[in-house]
Amino acid sequence: MPADTRSNGTRPSDYPVSDVDDDVDDLVTSPDHGAVAVFQAPQAPRRPGGGPGPHGRPDGEHADIDSPFLDLFSGSAGRPAPPRSASRTPSARVAEPLRRPVEAPPTEPVRRPVEPPAAEPVRRPVEPPVTEPARRPVEPPPAQPLTNGMGGHGIGADPIAPPSRGGDPQPVPDEDAGTAAAVKPPARADRPPRHAAREPELELVNLPAVREPAAEPPARRPPAEPTPRRRPEERRVREEPPRPRKEIKKRQELAPRSKPVRPPKIKFADRDPAVNLAITEIAGHLTFTPNTVTAWYWLPEVRWAFRPDAEREALLSAISEQYAGLAGFRLHLRRTTRPFPADEWARTLDMHTPHPLGGVPGAPSWSDHLVNAQRHLLSVNHAEGQTYLGVTFARRSLGDSLVERLLRAFGRGVAEGERRKLGRTVEQFDEVLGAFGMRGRQVTPHELEWLLYRSVALCMAPPTALSPVTGGEWERGDMLALTEQIERYRTPYGSTVKLVNRMTGEERHVAVLAVGRMEPLEIPERHEPWLHFHERLPWPMEISSRVDVLGSGDSFKNLEHRLRMIRSQQLDYAEHGIDAPPELERLAKRALVIGDEMTTGLPVESARAHGWHRIAVGGRTREECLERARRLIQLYSRELRISLQHPKNQDWLAREFIPGEPVANTGYIRRMPVKLLAAALPQAASTVGDRRGDLIGRTAGTCRRPVFLDLHFPMEVRERSGLAVFVAEPGGGKSTLLGALGYLAARRGVQVTLLDPSGPLARLCSMPELRPYSRVLNLTGSEHGTLAPYSLIPTPLRSEFANGPTGDREFEIAVSNARAERRMLVQDICSMLVPPQVAREASTATLLRHAVRQVPAEETSTLDDVVACLASLDDDNGKELANLLLDTAEMPLALLFFGRPPEGLLGADAALTVITMAGLRLPDLKIEREYWSAEEALALPMLHTAHRLAVRRCYGGSMSSRKMVGLDEAHFMEGWRSGRSFLVRLARDSRKWNLSALVASQNPRDILGLDVQNLVSTVFVGRIAEDVEIASEALRLLRVPVNDGYEATLASLSNVDTSSASRLGFREFVMRDVDGRVQKVRVDVSYVEGLLDHLDTTPTGAAAPQSNLPTGAPDTEV
Amino acid sequence: MRLRTDDDIYRARLVYLGPPGYTLPVHLPYAQYGVFMLLVPLFMFIHYLFTFDVELFPAWEIALAVVTTSFIFRYVDPDRPARMVVRTALTDWRRTREPATEQRDPRLVATRIRVREELV
Repeated sequence: MPADTRSNGTRPSDYPVSDVDDDVDDLVTSPDHGAVAVFQAPQAPRRPGGGPGPHGRPDGEHADIDSPFLDLFSGSAGRPAPPRSASRTPSARVAEPLRRPVEAPPTEPVRRPVEPPAAEPVRRPVEPPVTEPARRPVEPPPAQPLTNGMGGHGIGADPIAPPSRGGDPQPVPDEDAGTAAAVKPPARADRPPRHAAREPELELVNLPAVREPAAEPPARRPPAEPTPRRRPEERRVREEPPRPRKEIKKRQELAPRSKPVRPPKIKFADRDPAVNLAITEIAGHLTFTPNTVTAWYWLPEVRWAFRPDAEREALLSAISEQYAGLAGFRLHLRRTTRPFPADEWARTLDMHTPHPLGGVPGAPSWSDHLVNAQRHLLSVNHAEGQTYLGVTFARRSLGDSLVERLLRAFGRGVAEGERRKLGRTVEQFDEVLGAFGMRGRQVTPHELEWLLYRSVALCMAPPTALSPVTGGEWERGDMLALTEQIERYRTPYGSTVKLVNRMTGEERHVAVLAVGRMEPLEIPERHEPWLHFHERLPWPMEISSRVDVLGSGDSFKNLEHRLRMIRSQQLDYAEHGIDAPPELERLAKRALVIGDEMTTGLPVESARAHGWHRIAVGGRTREECLERARRLIQLYSRELRISLQHPKNQDWLAREFIPGEPVANTGYIRRMPVKLLAAALPQAASTVGDRRGDLIGRTAGTCRRPVFLDLHFPMEVRERSGLAVFVAEPGGGKSTLLGALGYLAARRGVQVTLLDPSGPLARLCSMPELRPYSRVLNLTGSEHGTLAPYSLIPTPLRSEFANGPTGDREFEIAVSNARAERRMLVQDICSMLVPPQVAREASTATLLRHAVRQVPAEETSTLDDVVACLASLDDDNGKELANLLLDTAEMPLALLFFGRPPEGLLGADAALTVITMAGLRLPDLKIEREYWSAEEALALPMLHTAHRLAVRRCYGGSMSSRKMVGLDEAHFMEGWRSGRSFLVRLARDSRKWNLSALVASQNPRDILGLDVQNLVSTVFVGRIAEDVEIASEALRLLRVPVNDGYEATLASLSNVDTSSASRLGFREFVMRDVDGRVQKVRVDVSYVEGLLDHLDTTPTGAAAPQSNLPTGAPDTEV
Repeated sequence: MRLRTDDDIYRARLVYLGPPGYTLPVHLPYAQYGVFMLLVPLFMFIHYLFTFDVELFPAWEIALAVVTTSFIFRYVDPDRPARMVVRTALTDWRRTREPATEQRDPRLVATRIRVREELV
């Protein structure tokens, strides 16, 4: 049957038609198994045009409801639905022609009137609800023989999809039913008499047959079995016609039984087979199967990327020692994923945002903003890995198992004595696994339930979305009940398994790949951990490894046996006088070497892990799934030289992922030293950033995690400085990132000041949501005195310090520090203003120092005072210097330094202030200062003072309120005393004032040269490809080992695909967060509408806004 | 750290060369002889079911067993043992009665599992 003709295309073509009814159910519940009911609003479109039947009961309703309570409410449930059947005409059925003519004409007229609705309830309770849908449609209305000649005689499923079925013939649908019916007729002839006689009992007799599937699950029934069983039922169907004649009278009394045609319950016979898992009990972190007990541990993620090799090796050897410590046990290493809880993050972010920016009509509000971010998060499909390690440590005795069975009957489960005993045994694993290396902790029953559900519903969407209660917690056992809804389909020799969630209609195809031949790997140095590597691909996958850890004795015995076999084969060849193949000798030698290592080395060297490693890949369609599997295989063979195999019998392999289930097959066993197993490291991860800030992108290393950055996290939680440094070559995306962070912070109600000398960030202020709250200050057009150096450094207030004598002392120190800083700044500014040749003379420095000393270093002083002081000196040089300074003052820009600052220049009211210096020509620092033009020379003091001005604003408000200041082009600070003191002061004050300072520079040497890297909490390093030295300085800033090959990583950031003509849609950085985690991140703020258009600094930006969106094919990097 | 598996040792091809003093013209892995020896009685039994008669020299059975063995071992490699090949063939053959593309497998249901918060 074409998938679209019924429900949502989640059924296979040969799926029994009646099953489809499940989709239509208003209420799906399975009292027998899971007791999970989900209410789904009735769906109008499914109703056929005729709508309700003659009895006012809509067709299809309660069609296949598994509820025993149903009958209480719908007395007429079994009623025929004439209008619909009539409309069913077009659907041709194989069975129809055969059955129809025989039965309908004679029975119809007689039976019709006999059927009183009132009688229904009597029969109903006995009748299993399952049969319901099947039975109803079968009853033809009087008119049917005429209209319905061709078929459309429903075997139950028809009611569902009448509207869509219009002109759609259903070729395949009920093949087995249809063909069965078609084939059977001959058999019918000899039977009628017997059955006719038994007719009254039929309903009752039917009952068990239908119920059976539900009752049977515990006893594993081979799926093939149902087929034979359906035969008798079918026969019964066909035997109907004769019956009526004999029993009309009887039927009138037993009206409810009046159904002329028993629907073939066949469908149901094999519809329900369900097999219970091997696990019978979860107790704490232990799982019990009838034969074994497994202790489960949760392995937290470990950091892998950008760590020194020595650290990684230490980690691996610690883990391999832990594995070696588990010798003699079978392990089940399982990695599953959990989609990123976007809602949880949004709630956290909202909680940490007490005063978001007010809404502006026509622009997205704060909640819109959050919703957009969540949408974006969900669309990118980030998944977090969860790694579980199960240690199967105890064989259960027959007695224990029997006791459990017995106690289960009383609802008690595993005996307490056994559990106590196990509880003591299991402590040894806590000890082994809890140490450095894996740092495993016991899992909770909830996590085990989650794992079980995820394993049964392999690669399917987790049930969070199903929850009818938002924010509700899953109760104990709920998740397990959800496994009830997962159906599995296989194809013979198929390469995927299909899983269908009956409740959501989700369909998933899963391919399970086994790890085949492996070439030698150099794990920390050249290769990624081999079970972490799959995360490079952008879709979530699942991993299951079943491993037997052999201790030194076992593994040596195993190896020796193998060696003897090889030797005997060699001997055999010698005896027969044939040349032995050379590989035998080679392998024997290798076995000897390994044997030697085993006998003389440490237990870690000798322990071996023999096991099966599988990766499950899922896809929405078979093609997608196979394509993904192909790409995974390709990736592994290319990068790691591991051949992933795609074996048959996928359903067994998929089952192996479920804890407690047996190993699917003995093929593809990998025998390896535990070190290699440790180097699989499925728990490796690369998270970076905090989980409470704004979404700024995702990690771009081996795995993809969303990256959040709250710039006030270092100060408010970690109690560190809030200095963040951005380093990249021009075009590396510094300004854009700075602007984006400024925007996001402003949205959250943080007071943001951005200094952007070149000016494009000023466009942020024209964004509709920010416009009322922002202001642009263009320094080149400002009034005199705006940049007056004395007033740029605020005088500390007594209230900022603690009470008491200590506070007094601190306050005094702070005041005198401020004075010293003012003097230093003024001196530096004056040196910058005079020509460099003059500034270099010793007398100039002396004179300036003298003059600055004369002028009181208070906020109220001005540069004019310094000039006056110089002019009043008896020294010619002093007069000359004063004249030089006055000369510069002739330039309009230099006037900013002289005079008093205007009042209220930078009010604390605006949420976003962007300071620009439009039209200012920035000099090239590589050229000597002598050759700078007058304008360029003026840029230097302007930048210095502008930086101070931007920060000055932050000292206006309260100390604890959040402030952010972004400073672009900070490399101009280098080489000046006041520059360094500025950054140090910024870093120091940042914590006290809750001030987050972002400093962007083109060269990490500037920051390193200022020697403030110890105060830096967050670092972003963009593309640095030109200069290896700069790259290694940047690595030093990131505190990543230099000369370990990471320089190449910096050069490969934001790599342009040379074959594409469009602009690069993203920028990559290596980010180090406040906790020292380093990771490659891809900045992506495209979820904020219009932000990238406003931030685009590239000339063609306005013309091609689209190209700023994240790349169309996010997987291209693979 | 250079890490490698021990698999190659287990991948050595062990073949039966023949009884001492007489070298067989073809050298087949031991496993093949094993499978062959299992198959002959099986075919004999099937033959017996039809004819109720046991032949002294089961020529047909041997021939069939040879063919079947070679057919099975066409799919066998160090990572895919003969048992798996036979099992896959059997299950999938058994369920391939209809041209249908998909068959439903039993659902795996975890509802009977008892959950206890604490071990003791």
